[in-house]
Amino acid sequence: MSGGASRRVDSLLKAAAIAAFAAGVTCLAAGAWIPIKAWAAQLLIDAAWRREHALSQIAAPWPWADTRPVAKLTVGEGTAATTLIVLEGSSGRNLAFGPVHDAASVAPGALGNSVIEGHRDTHFKMLRASKPGNRVTIEALDGSQSVFVVTDVRIVDSRRTRIVLDTDAALLTLVTCYPFDAINPGGPLRWIVTAERLRPKPALASIRRIN
Amino acid sequence: MNLRSFLVSLLWALLLVVCISPQRLVFAANAIEDTPSGTLYLRRSAQEPVTEALRLATRMQVQVTGNVARVHVQQEFSNTGEDWVEGLYVFPLSKDGAVDELLMRIGERTIRGEVQEKAKAQALYNDARAEGRRASIVEQERPNLFTSAVANIAPHTTATIEITYLETLPFRDGRYTLNLPLAITPRYTPGAPQDATAEMPAATAAIMNAALGTSATPEKVKAARQRVSIEIDLEPGFALGEVSSLHHAVETQSAPSGKRVLLHTDDAPADRDFELTWTQAAEKEVAGAAFAERIGGETFALLMLSTPQQLDEAVPPREVTFIIDTSGSMQGPSIEQARAALSMGIDRLKQSDRFNVIRFASDYSKLFSSPQPVTDKSRALASGFVAGLSANGGTEMRAPLETALSSPSDPELLQQIIFITDGSVGNEAELIKLIHDRIGEKRLFTVGIGAAPNAYFLGEAAIAGRGSYTFIAERDQVGARMRDLFAKLEHPALIDLKVQWPGGMGVDLAAPLPMDLYSGDPIVVLARMPQIASGEVVLSGLVRGTRWTQRLPLTSVGEASGLSKLWARERIGTLSRQMHFGGDAEPLKAAIVDLALTYHLVTDFTSLVAVDDEVVRSAGSPGHVEQAATSAPVGGAWATVGFAKTATDAEVWLCAGLVCLGLSLLLTYTRFRRPAGERRPA
Repeated sequence: MSGGASRRVDSLLKAAAIAAFAAGVTCLAAGAWIPIKAWAAQLLIDAAWRREHALSQIAAPWPWADTRPVAKLTVGEGTAATTLIVLEGSSGRNLAFGPVHDAASVAPGALGNSVIEGHRDTHFKMLRASKPGNRVTIEALDGSQSVFVVTDVRIVDSRRTRIVLDTDAALLTLVTCYPFDAINPGGPLRWIVTAERLRPKPALASIRRIN
Repeated sequence: MNLRSFLVSLLWALLLVVCISPQRLVFAANAIEDTPSGTLYLRRSAQEPVTEALRLATRMQVQVTGNVARVHVQQEFSNTGEDWVEGLYVFPLSKDGAVDELLMRIGERTIRGEVQEKAKAQALYNDARAEGRRASIVEQERPNLFTSAVANIAPHTTATIEITYLETLPFRDGRYTLNLPLAITPRYTPGAPQDATAEMPAATAAIMNAALGTSATPEKVKAARQRVSIEIDLEPGFALGEVSSLHHAVETQSAPSGKRVLLHTDDAPADRDFELTWTQAAEKEVAGAAFAERIGGETFALLMLSTPQQLDEAVPPREVTFIIDTSGSMQGPSIEQARAALSMGIDRLKQSDRFNVIRFASDYSKLFSSPQPVTDKSRALASGFVAGLSANGGTEMRAPLETALSSPSDPELLQQIIFITDGSVGNEAELIKLIHDRIGEKRLFTVGIGAAPNAYFLGEAAIAGRGSYTFIAERDQVGARMRDLFAKLEHPALIDLKVQWPGGMGVDLAAPLPMDLYSGDPIVVLARMPQIASGEVVLSGLVRGTRWTQRLPLTSVGEASGLSKLWARERIGTLSRQMHFGGDAEPLKAAIVDLALTYHLVTDFTSLVAVDDEVVRSAGSPGHVEQAATSAPVGGAWATVGFAKTATDAEVWLCAGLVCLGLSLLLTYTRFRRPAGERRPA
């Protein structure tokens, strides 16, 4: 083999190796950015939530945000509890920042079915552990709390199923993609956790011992 | 490394990233799953709302001659956008239709579709699409649900295809009915385990994925008004009595040998099936007819007549189990109709009868633990139960059907199951097999509810359950239709049906003769005879223990009548039924393909495909796939939402990153492994 040809092969190999390396780093960065963004956004949104409470007015989590927090969602109890702030409107962009409330459904806690969706590999990863009987708590903007209990956990095909919005009870439907560890993000299956609102207990203050 | 080689490698890197961008990976993985993930949107920002460029208009022309209808369904795909589009549409057709023709119109030219095996048809279509030629394909998704696709629709142009099918119009319950399905109730496929809390292994998920039919095109249903126009030429061969359209306002004109019915369009609601019924002017019993088509030494015969009417007599006591569907798809007017039908059914029971009610959605519950005698108390309990029914949840039909079918039977009582549902299930075959296997001495009657019930499922379930079916489309029909049903319930009107063919010749029946025929049900027999036949056909049977006979002369009809295709369609239906009931799949499939290719029919295994030779798109991409929405049925069940895409592409990026790094390592390794003499330091 002549020296010239060999050099050409060599420099081609080198260029290809550098190119593949650069592409690899770019892809890894893009992949790592998604969970970082998801985590950072929740911090900012949490701050907005506090501000909203303090000012009693609607606050945007960052100056150019076009969504707003609508509720604080707590899944589970005690140390296993995860608290997330839910954003309004189920666009792909909002989903990157937090779980989203489908604007077509009723507000969480109201009579009807309230639908909240989240990414299976960031915010809603913890839904994998949901079981009937688990508690889900919603804190609304006005500070009122409603407690739900999980009644059903199932997998559905999103192409053949729709979520019914008019229900006789106050329901909360948490949706995320399934399977949890699939690589393909476009799969048709969804993991659906349905919770029903517990009737508010009679306030303890109203029960008084009569001597 | 010098600057130039650095720039070159940077360009390479960019190119690589573009080539394996996750959207592309996703698109390749589920080609027609989610339009917004199509390639067109790759260069748009993810935030930009997707505008649909595809518009679809449907035009139906129907020629009714005697007892046969030929229906031409014209679909016009208009691309209003700036890019090339591939149009996709999922649409319902009659459950008994023999789909035999596809015409693709290009300007003055018409290209006729061919029937090919499904995979071959797909390949022909895909090749033409890739090469930039016009092509269209019609596939059967389910027995009454079809998909059409048209490739290479240029920006601002319209592509028109015409699909044709043949159908028999039996005389049922005193009238002829032509049904043109326009809307789809999305099917609920159970399959997800009830208890999904148990961790599901990946293999199970894969099987489930396969079972859910991820290859099937999803119905894309919208509560929107679709553009439809309908023209029907009615030549029934007798003086017409009343002609009425049940759900749509139509214009009726007189024609020389019948009537012309027009549905004027733009605001015609396509959210319910179109149903036209007509009767004879003379109030006499329809005698029936026998037609014969002679092709190449063979004769195909169609016999049609109505089951003899019976007089009201004392009926033996019976045990009736009502099963009522209270799933989410029944919300709104449907559940009201179902409740009304159920109440009426309970009212019509006699003191000597026993009954029970089972309701189901995702779960099921019974009114009584076992069937109870009809008393004032049990009636009161039942009416309370019925009033409390509301529609919500999934459609898990198997468990309630099993319960009803497996309840112990009392030989003194006629065992009847009345099944009230819209039939919006995807696991039809499994349920029909269950009914077929367990029916025993019981009889199952189906009552189809709503604006677009799944007629295929309801019809097949009634055949498997040796009963009959009834449809109730609107609230004010409940009374009349339930009377029809109860007339059937009294007793099978005709049993032991036999047919004697001219010259006593042996014939090839498309389907076995029905075992029980109920009052008002039609008798339809399709047969193939190995020789030219003429003369008289004699039908006989037992009506209330006495022999009944009917003679029908064979009337010769032309080849265009399509009796041979109707025979083949019916035979294919019989073979598919055997397949569902656990027959040997391979030979049955081969027989179906063979019949379909011979008689030019679309089936589960064969499709119609039309391709053009001319290349219209010489460069660029065939564009994205757009699916035109099919109308959802009218009713309140459509206050629903779909699902967002709730997974990020983080993992795809990470995998791609790792693959690239691996590749880079491999290249470096190869470079240093080369003999030292061939390598120069940079």
